[in-house]
Amino acid sequence: MYKKILTVVAVALLAFPVFANGDSEQKAGGTFVPTQNIEWYCTSSPGGGSDIFTRTLQDIMTSEKLVNGQNIIIQYKTDGAGEVGRALVSTVKGVKADHTLLTFNSGDLMPMDKNTDRRFSDFQPIAHMAVDNHLIFVTPDSRFKDFKEVLEALQKGEDVVMAGSKGDDIACHAALVKELGVSADQFAFIVNDSSGTAITSILGNHVDLLICKPAAASQYVEAGRLIPILALASKRFPGNLQSAPVLSELGYHDVEVPNWRSVVGSKNMSPEAVAYWSDVFKKVSQSSAWQEGYINKQKLVADYMDCVTFKAYGSKFEADYLTSIGK
Amino acid sequence: MHNLMLLGNGLLNVLSIQNLLVTGLGAILGLMVGAMPGIGSLAGVALLLPLTYKFNPTTAIIMLGALYYSNMYGGSFSAILLNIPGDSPAVMTTLDGYPMATVKKRPGQALYTSNLSSFIGGFIGIGILIFMGPALAEFGLKFGPVEMTALLLVAMTSIGWLVGDNPTKGIVLTLAGILVATVGMDTLTGSPRYDFGNVFLLGGIPFIPFVIGTVGFAQVMKLIDEKDVGTKTMVEGKMSLKGSLLSLHELRRLLPPAIRSGFMGTFVGVLPGAGATTGSFLGYAMQKGFKSEEPLGTGAIEGIAACEAANNAAAAGSFAPLLALGIPGSGTGAVLLGGLMMWGLNPGPLLFSSQPEFCWSLIASLVLANLLTLAIALGIIPWITRILSVPIKLMVPCITIVCIVGSYSSTNSLYGVIVMLISGVIGYLCEKNGYTTAPMLLSFVLAPLLESNMRKSFIISHGSISIFFTEPIACCFMVVLFAIIATPIIRGILSREKR
Repeated sequence: MYKKILTVVAVALLAFPVFANGDSEQKAGGTFVPTQNIEWYCTSSPGGGSDIFTRTLQDIMTSEKLVNGQNIIIQYKTDGAGEVGRALVSTVKGVKADHTLLTFNSGDLMPMDKNTDRRFSDFQPIAHMAVDNHLIFVTPDSRFKDFKEVLEALQKGEDVVMAGSKGDDIACHAALVKELGVSADQFAFIVNDSSGTAITSILGNHVDLLICKPAAASQYVEAGRLIPILALASKRFPGNLQSAPVLSELGYHDVEVPNWRSVVGSKNMSPEAVAYWSDVFKKVSQSSAWQEGYINKQKLVADYMDCVTFKAYGSKFEADYLTSIGK
Repeated sequence: MHNLMLLGNGLLNVLSIQNLLVTGLGAILGLMVGAMPGIGSLAGVALLLPLTYKFNPTTAIIMLGALYYSNMYGGSFSAILLNIPGDSPAVMTTLDGYPMATVKKRPGQALYTSNLSSFIGGFIGIGILIFMGPALAEFGLKFGPVEMTALLLVAMTSIGWLVGDNPTKGIVLTLAGILVATVGMDTLTGSPRYDFGNVFLLGGIPFIPFVIGTVGFAQVMKLIDEKDVGTKTMVEGKMSLKGSLLSLHELRRLLPPAIRSGFMGTFVGVLPGAGATTGSFLGYAMQKGFKSEEPLGTGAIEGIAACEAANNAAAAGSFAPLLALGIPGSGTGAVLLGGLMMWGLNPGPLLFSSQPEFCWSLIASLVLANLLTLAIALGIIPWITRILSVPIKLMVPCITIVCIVGSYSSTNSLYGVIVMLISGVIGYLCEKNGYTTAPMLLSFVLAPLLESNMRKSFIISHGSISIFFTEPIACCFMVVLFAIIATPIIRGILSREKR
């Protein structure tokens, strides 16, 4: 009996190579297709903007059969404010590097550049997918009816307090303060953990202004709880946010700090895999599920860039940011 | 009356076979997830979320709502039987639950107390949610950084009730808790603090591994330290169903703290950023101000009832801002909010009016989950208490594995295990030298909230302290704060004069 069991086990072990997919096999002819599970890292908590971005992409890639029938496993690595996940992806090697993706936004890049030695060049840019811009809001019972009144108050030396979230919201406030020529003490900014917390503080009228991306605030505008008074972009937003003027209409230069949403990989990713993934995300960006189900719904601006264009764009963005913080 | 009709429609919706099944499944999964240390409702809901994308939104939210809600029940199982809180809201349950189960050898009664109190707290919370949900959410908005700071200052004074016999030791550990809580990114400026160049420390000390270590692993070390363990078990003697039930007198004892904490917990659940953990801490601290038949911390029914009712009520209360305003009251609420978007709904102030079927079905599922979970929990308690009949020499490696797995799964890395081991050693040394660790855990939870709200308040007031006295709600809390601080001083002076 034992001999029989032993024989079965031995045969099973020896049969393993028959089912194996070799590394050399997948790159035959200089092309790449995924041959194992794809691990996709998200350095933000489930439920937030980055998670929805990642899950939407995952859903489209799977339903449109763009990943050779492989599974996409989303891993949440939020330790060290996301630094652990970023460090992990940047150093993955071998076949795994070709099967590892990371959701990467400008809101991730800014704290990474500020607090660590890791840089954009430690990753392989794959695709830039979309851009979020910001707006400033007040409540119907606010002391300000529009942004002109905010400007008048600032000119009179009155204090103004604005609430917002982290990352790009902070950078946007800094750029606005610089353009308006006021001090950050007079035009103060309160950082919140999320846009939701910032919205709570303005709905209770604990602050004067709210800076927020359109997707998070749109429902409150529709319900009449928030009024958009300034678009921090080069042109007005569509739909129910159209009433908010851009800064150039008020006699200043437009202020725009885009929060870009993108996908990167390990710097050790093979050129074949980079080309493959860049093409996959191009196909996603052209799908109606992406345009209707994500871009339009979340009020983002679709802006696909392939790996080469995105590399140049991201590097310039980083260089400008590092200069602005004196690094 | 209109709300009751809408709830009736919601109940009819939930009572379809498909929805009933998912409610039951959510309740059972929630109990299991809650009982497994380190996973918690946040991870439980996040793990199940992708599975629900193909459901219709109402069925999906019913399942996740039931899971989230019953999780509050499950958390107390491992807290009471193993001294390891299954989820952060169950931390305070260990203070009286574990001594009642092991020292007083009444694990069945401890679990029945916890589950009945959870039911009462949840019943109150859901009742308030049904009749006053939107109004409650609007009331929560009145609590900005200034009001929250004043409230948290009052809450911090409750640490005084937890310090035990030696105030100096209590204060030392309170300050240690505050120090540990400051490790990581500064929430307002994003600057790193005490990270020593380590990327893990940049994210701060994770709460769950810290608690599992300080409370659970410290207990393991204490058991190892005991001599002549041999074939000894945690609770000697046979445990029967009859011997596990609560007497009428004990039921009367648990009612007042459970009802008080039910109301208080609902209120805390509505506040921005507070959540079930803060609710249970405050519920326990509040009970210190009332009479208990046995001293709290020694296995008192009142202690278990106060915190368990509060955390269930807070879980129900946190749905008010989520449904009425689209603002999550907790981390799990944030995941549910993400779920709403993925299911094709737009969370926000219009959800109640644009999707009434969805909202009321969710509330109805909470009502049903509260009943179902109580029934399931009461049924399994007599069986689950048998875990304490396992010899200690076998329990020690088992609890150690639970501690390691729980810490790992909460952080998804070995960092959690390292934090658990270090805090376990610290917790053991503290207990051995007469330092109670509860104040450290309370200050660890409250300090980040207090710091962030206080700093925001000072930004709003441009550094002026007067803002805490010019805002009416904050001013009321400040008066309470001064009364709490001044009362023992005045009492001391008066008693000295009498002498």
